[in-house]
Amino acid sequence: MEIFEFLAHGFAVALTPTNLGLAVFGCVAGTIVGAMPGLGPVNGVAILIPLAFTLGLDPASAMILLASVYYGTMYGGRISSIMLNIPGDEPAMMTCLDGHPMARKGKAAEALAISAIASFVGATLSTIGLTLFAPMLVKVAIHFGPAEYFALYVLAFATIGGVTGANPAKTLMAAAFGLALGTVGLDPVSGTARYTFGIFHLFDGFHPIVAIVGLFAISEVLIYLEHTHATHSAVVSVHRAYARLSDIVATAGAMLRGSFIGFVAGVLPGAGASLGSFLAYALEKRVSDKDGTFGKGDPRGVAAPEAGNNAAAGGALIPMLSLGVPGSGTTAVMLALLISLNITPGPLLFEKQPDVVWGLIASLYIANVVLLLLNIPLVGFFTRMLTLPMWLLLPVVVMVSFVGVYSINHSTFDLLVMVGFGLLGYLLRKLDIPLVPIVLGLLLGAEMENNYRRALSISGGDTGILYGSTITVSLYAATALLLVIAIVAALRRRRNR
Amino acid sequence: MSDRLTGLLIAALAVWYGWMADNFEEGFGDPVGPSAFPKLLAVPMGLFALYLIVRPDPEPRWPTGRPLLRQIGMMAALVGYPLILEPLGFPLATALGVIAMALLLGGPRQGAAISAVAFSLGLFVMFDQVLGLHLPMLPSFK
Repeated sequence: MEIFEFLAHGFAVALTPTNLGLAVFGCVAGTIVGAMPGLGPVNGVAILIPLAFTLGLDPASAMILLASVYYGTMYGGRISSIMLNIPGDEPAMMTCLDGHPMARKGKAAEALAISAIASFVGATLSTIGLTLFAPMLVKVAIHFGPAEYFALYVLAFATIGGVTGANPAKTLMAAAFGLALGTVGLDPVSGTARYTFGIFHLFDGFHPIVAIVGLFAISEVLIYLEHTHATHSAVVSVHRAYARLSDIVATAGAMLRGSFIGFVAGVLPGAGASLGSFLAYALEKRVSDKDGTFGKGDPRGVAAPEAGNNAAAGGALIPMLSLGVPGSGTTAVMLALLISLNITPGPLLFEKQPDVVWGLIASLYIANVVLLLLNIPLVGFFTRMLTLPMWLLLPVVVMVSFVGVYSINHSTFDLLVMVGFGLLGYLLRKLDIPLVPIVLGLLLGAEMENNYRRALSISGGDTGILYGSTITVSLYAATALLLVIAIVAALRRRRNR
Repeated sequence: MSDRLTGLLIAALAVWYGWMADNFEEGFGDPVGPSAFPKLLAVPMGLFALYLIVRPDPEPRWPTGRPLLRQIGMMAALVGYPLILEPLGFPLATALGVIAMALLLGGPRQGAAISAVAFSLGLFVMFDQVLGLHLPMLPSFK
């Protein structure tokens, strides 16, 4: 079993004191960010990317830090769902439905404990799935040529909205716009300056990290200012989460079903954790809701979506690591970090940088254990974080973003570009135009164009090569099928309104 | 209306984007060249933008009144900070930035002042001294 050898090697990387420390720090920071209403996994990872840069971490350590933050935010999102009935992040939305009623019935401690255990089960099962399936996908992907990669990118961009997404036209327009942003700068093949207006700073193009921090973190501040928030005072004080063994046994089935559904949803391109928790809850309700207890504080209604969204988080890492095509917003941000560190994810990553891949996978197992251990006794600390006022917190978020982006090039021009992206991100969010396709476009545009041009150089300009193999044809067929499903779903939503 | 305006803007951008691509110089011995991919992108970008003009979504709720003023104030602070960072040095610029933002976010005056001093010094020590990132420290009058 070569997988076990690789995994053992990964644990050797992840268990060095520095990396272990980073994992613990990442778990705590991620849980806090995830618990804050509004600051979700994408923001959490985006804000902490600059920190990974300023720390000057090597790629394996940087990924371990971000992956721990990622898993941490998924754990943290449930806390404000249960305590305040405000989802800490989008995937935690479904947890409100039964989590908050449980808290109101005086069962907050049980809800927090069951959701922590469900998160652990979901995340661990999907990490096992990642360990088993990612190397298998790599074995297929190794046969991909430029034309196949081009088709794969088309598939990723066409389906990024998924079935739950906003208006498909907006999603696809955003993807084209993001790809267009990615062409700004010197063309790497011919050296032609494209769309730079002669501005020297733009010759390298838009730095993805600068764009991401602006789009997600800065726009969040503008969104927040729209509402006049009353300080939430009604936080029930909880010191530690506990649940009886019988409670856990009663929800075990829900956890397993939720994990499975969430994992599948995570692997699919563009679906991600929100769909995972949504489907997990819907299925559990259908299977278990015999007495109409769902929505009124049924523990199984907490266990299923939490297992689902955490399982999806692990599943989404599979296409990101093995194909270089991320399945969700957060994994896109992690991909941005890898590319910025001059590492190209994809099948070759497993051969050339086993430290990064297997260190990361091993650290996910560690992060899960750390998160479970943290979340049971320290949940009181995390709930108290919910009472921190935003006027104290957001300026620090902005300043850390500024310092981090400044550290990339020591350029105040980058800071202005970041603020520009922040305003753009705010406007797009108001218009319901998704940001993730833009980030993905900016990030993968160069590689997509590269494969397009390589394919056509091989064929001497004959475009037939783009759809000349079984793999490309099946990828385009899958694209068409998923697009039709997304359009039908969107039309149905429009009619229901 | 907002969707129609956005569609119009993006459609115009797509036309300009595709038209600009025409002028790129072809590389030597490169069958595809730097203009093919942008032209390929301009088509879907323009078409989806047109669709948005024809079938817009319901109008979002844009902020008005005080929230809008606070957002404009925040944008001023966000644009101002990069402009004063190098002339004033990190600690001073950050203190000013944090005060402005904390007040805009509805914090009390005393709290804003205390957090400004604490965060500007704290972040400076953490990033410059501990992490070894060189930040401009003192005001420089060039």
